[in-house]
Amino acid sequence: MTTLIVLSALGLVCLFSEILGFRKLLHPIVLIGLLASFVTNLMDWNNGAHLFNEMVVIDNYSVAFMGLMIGITFIWCLMSPDFFTEPSSETDHFALIVFALIGTMVMVTFANMIMLFLGIEILSIALYILAGSHKTKLSSNEAALKYFLMGSFATGFLLFGIALIYGATGSFNLAAISSMISEHHEQNSVMIVAGILMMMIALAFKVSAAPFHFWAPDVYQGAPTVITAFMSTVVKTAAFAAFYRLFIHTFSASPAIWAPTLMIISGLTILVGNITAVYQTNFKRMLAYSSISHAGYMVLAILAMNQSASSSLMFYATAYSISSITAFAILLLVSHQTGSDEIRSFNGLAKQNPFLSAVTLVAMLSLAGIPPTAGFFAKYYIFSAAIQNGYLGLVLIAILGSLIGVFYYFRIIIALFKSESEEKEIKVNTLFRVLLLVTSLAALALGIAPGMLAGLI
Amino acid sequence: MENVTRVIQLIPLNYYILLSTLLFCIGVIGVLFRRNAIVIFMCIELMLNAVNLLLAAFSSYRSDASGQVFVFFIMAVAAAEVAVGLAILTMIYRNTGSVDIDHLNKLKW
Amino acid sequence: MTQLAWLIPVFPLVGFLVISLGNKILPKQFSGVFASLTVLASFILSLAIFLQSPETGETVFVFDWIKSGGLSIPVSFLIDHISLTMLLIVTGVGFLIHVYSIGYMKEDEGYSRFFSYLNLFVFFMLLLVMGSNYIVMFAGWEGVGLCSYLLIGFWFKNTEYNNAANKAFIMNRIGDLGFLLGIILIYVTFGSVSFDDVFSAAKTLPDNQPVITAITLLLFVGAMGKSAQIPLYTWLPDAMAGPTPVSALIHAATMVTAGIYMVVRSNILYSISPFTLEVVSIIGMATALFAATIAMVQTDIKKVLAYSTVSQLGYMFVALGVGAYSTALFHVTTHAFFKALLFLAAGSVIHAMSGEQDVRKMGGLRKKLPITFAVFAIGTMAISGVPPFAGFFSKDEILARAWTQSPVLFFFLAVTSVLTAIYMFRVFFLTFYGTFRGTHDQEHHLHESPPSMTIPLVVLAILSTVGGFLGLPTVFSEHHFFGDFLKSSLSTPGTMLQSEASHTFEWTLIGVSIITLAGIIFWAFNHFVKKHRIPAIQETEFKPVAKLLYNKYYIDEIYQSTFVKPLYSISNFFWKIVDNSIVDGLVNGVSKSVVWAGQTIRLVQTGNVGFYIFAMVFGIIAMLLYNLVF
Repeated sequence: MTTLIVLSALGLVCLFSEILGFRKLLHPIVLIGLLASFVTNLMDWNNGAHLFNEMVVIDNYSVAFMGLMIGITFIWCLMSPDFFTEPSSETDHFALIVFALIGTMVMVTFANMIMLFLGIEILSIALYILAGSHKTKLSSNEAALKYFLMGSFATGFLLFGIALIYGATGSFNLAAISSMISEHHEQNSVMIVAGILMMMIALAFKVSAAPFHFWAPDVYQGAPTVITAFMSTVVKTAAFAAFYRLFIHTFSASPAIWAPTLMIISGLTILVGNITAVYQTNFKRMLAYSSISHAGYMVLAILAMNQSASSSLMFYATAYSISSITAFAILLLVSHQTGSDEIRSFNGLAKQNPFLSAVTLVAMLSLAGIPPTAGFFAKYYIFSAAIQNGYLGLVLIAILGSLIGVFYYFRIIIALFKSESEEKEIKVNTLFRVLLLVTSLAALALGIAPGMLAGLI
Repeated sequence: MENVTRVIQLIPLNYYILLSTLLFCIGVIGVLFRRNAIVIFMCIELMLNAVNLLLAAFSSYRSDASGQVFVFFIMAVAAAEVAVGLAILTMIYRNTGSVDIDHLNKLKW
Repeated sequence: MTQLAWLIPVFPLVGFLVISLGNKILPKQFSGVFASLTVLASFILSLAIFLQSPETGETVFVFDWIKSGGLSIPVSFLIDHISLTMLLIVTGVGFLIHVYSIGYMKEDEGYSRFFSYLNLFVFFMLLLVMGSNYIVMFAGWEGVGLCSYLLIGFWFKNTEYNNAANKAFIMNRIGDLGFLLGIILIYVTFGSVSFDDVFSAAKTLPDNQPVITAITLLLFVGAMGKSAQIPLYTWLPDAMAGPTPVSALIHAATMVTAGIYMVVRSNILYSISPFTLEVVSIIGMATALFAATIAMVQTDIKKVLAYSTVSQLGYMFVALGVGAYSTALFHVTTHAFFKALLFLAAGSVIHAMSGEQDVRKMGGLRKKLPITFAVFAIGTMAISGVPPFAGFFSKDEILARAWTQSPVLFFFLAVTSVLTAIYMFRVFFLTFYGTFRGTHDQEHHLHESPPSMTIPLVVLAILSTVGGFLGLPTVFSEHHFFGDFLKSSLSTPGTMLQSEASHTFEWTLIGVSIITLAGIIFWAFNHFVKKHRIPAIQETEFKPVAKLLYNKYYIDEIYQSTFVKPLYSISNFFWKIVDNSIVDGLVNGVSKSVVWAGQTIRLVQTGNVGFYIFAMVFGIIAMLLYNLVF
């Protein structure tokens, strides 16, 4: 609760800084604000609360995810100072990021459909603007429009689903809906079935699961790289946390309605994401497809629905976010200094800059799920949770998908060690050096001792 | 207020559901088949308003105010969304001189 | 002492970290010496534990790796006689190869990088052999695969080398998939992946359980990938693109025997699955023969050795297939000695020839490279099975064990062993005898290698000479040191015949092999040295008579046209058609089809929002229809 207030205040401070003229101080203020909210968030651990007539419920699940997202945002803010130097929109950018973060906070604490809707919209509206924040660049414009059109279209389905469920159960409260559905188990009306499916579709859109993933590659590629980094880490985590929270708290009594469909979505997402990524030559676009395939793996956690599912989702989100943010930070460096975000700008990096290529190696191994990195255990936990619930076939598809995945992640690694190299030497400043070292070590630490995080929630 | 509720309940609930589903589908079809981004926005708004209608109907049939509260939220959010959407469109029109969505396909494959 | 075993893999890991992180700061020479010292430290510690010789297996717990729900996977090491044997091989031979590399890689610009990879490899290999459960083993398994991949592509100037690295990678992936599925199935069946739990549960199971057969077959697929068996073997000859010490360390002495080790480790599972054992011995036999025929026509010195490695690995699998686990490990040991020796000696030759690997361009090197000549001769005799060199005893034991199992197996193995002797002496004579056939520059440059290269060669040569006495056959001695040492760690196969071959048979075997070998050496010397039959000429014309063989005139002629020629053409056929087209084609086909699918599916991403929304609505309608109507 305090966390949400701290962040909202921070957002307002960002907006006021323009008028009151302390724009220059904003970057440190935001960082301090994020730290403060991180601390207040931690104080809620094992100290949950039901607030505002059951609109918001804070529990360990939400605290863990909020902590993760604030942490990643903190790292993100450190790695993207360039994004905030444009004088005309500096404060807006800060404010939008903070508000987007507030949206994600609402998305993991909601206990009522209204809050779910508000959370998603607070996040999305901020993101529509951020995706288009390179105002003069056509690709950024296009990304913003595509994202906006398809996002608001998906929102329509979310709302229609909520309305149908409201019509059938008479409530927006998750607990009430859940008990209504499980009490009248046999007679699930058409309204409930259609309502659940429509909400699932909208959420599948938000997490970019096939066949609702089409926006993701284009938007990820077109948006400014820093925003893509934010979207593929914090936003994706939030969308999954919300997806999981909704389906586990509300619809877990009737998996027969949605589980078969979600199974198909998961398998399709894994295959489409991985296979399409194989042919990409643009690093950013490849990461976009890879993030689609990771969405497919994370859907497995929702299907698993058991004790270990929430912690395995948390672990996956952490491992994925850490490795992804590392990859994007590297991409920022490389594309900024070579002027291109194609895979070939990584050629011969091993010789020029061993440090950068070592962290790239860790990030790619982790994304590919190869031990001893965090990505391996992330996959392991999710797969074993899914197998426990009887999804052996789907897990086999997922393993097949991750084998394909290895193929394209290793293309980057191979490129690192190619001999023909770009002339330009890539420099890494101290800030980035520290950041990359920290994230890579975190990825390795989680891969060597996953117990630190695994049984947390 | 009592009066309004009674008037709403004069018409069977199924009619409301059918009407709003129909409106929603019209919205979806509009999004599918129109190429002008502004018209597409309008169609999306139509979808949202179909939901509003449905919520209002459910709310009065169940004598539960929360449905109508939700309608207010949707209206407020839709307004914000339109503001952002129109801003994006203006930006695109400045850069390309067109709001035809078929012209925006530089990002692909 | 045993409790300190966790330090063994830590040493090379430290070496890797220090060298790779201190790349820029530390002097170049330091990294080679430091890397060698870390492996030496591991060796000394292994030796100390070995001398103390714990009677039964001891588990050394290091830390908890995964602990979630019912599953707990600790990182812990199992120190028993099997792993001790492998530890000594990996660290001992590994150390010699490190020392050798100091000289061999001296002028390479990637000197430090090379040593950091080598150390990393040793670390993973130790993890593989020491792990006390399948997961730790798998971690090591993947790690050595990665290092192998990095080292094959070490000289990444050349796309062919990169292709070789890619091929190795893909082939190993297929094997790894089998291994992984096997581990999953083990977990599903036994509820645990630790060796102790699995094996003690398996001991009580009856033979021929379908699930055990499935597990063992899947594990064997993993072993096929790593140990280069048909049909997953083609990567190994290509892997010779890496620097020669790598070929010696990874692709001859240690990593490729990981598959053997894994089967030996799981011997209890294999023993209760006779069907799998049959599959293992058939595949091993086919590989042994097949690779040996291919080796007959190769002219690249490293390629010959590579195919001979494949062939020898086939031998080891036959030993496993007939339930002679300790014999297989015995051959792993002797093979590690003489194959490392041969590769390193070949490296010394290549070093002297300024990178030339074609035996047709060599010849007469024995005067210029006396030490290399001597050790290569010892290696050749060891691999060919000349008594009393190491290969003789281990190979003899496999042959004897195969005989008790099935005369067919024995027959094909015997043929293979004849072929082995032929191609090895062919290479040996072509390289060291006759006249020099290279360019003038090369001749001028010829020199013996520096001591850092020749000392390891000499040590390995000594080991290759005396290594066989670890396991004297029963005719010589009642005490089979190697077999007795391993006995406590191996199960007794339930249905396997444990009968030893009779003494008469062994004597006959020894006698026949000595006579055959003498014949082969004589023939090869005559053919390649006296008659100067270097392979390039051989394919177009062959002279009918040779003076010294005049009384065997017709036999020679018949031999040439009815046996050698068809054999050459068959092996050419296998090499060109089966190896290059079918097997390669299959492997490349899988990767190509994935790439093709990627290329096609991405076209769906048209970039047009209208289409995206259309696809989305289509998906929504399909889902609603599926759930509401059907």
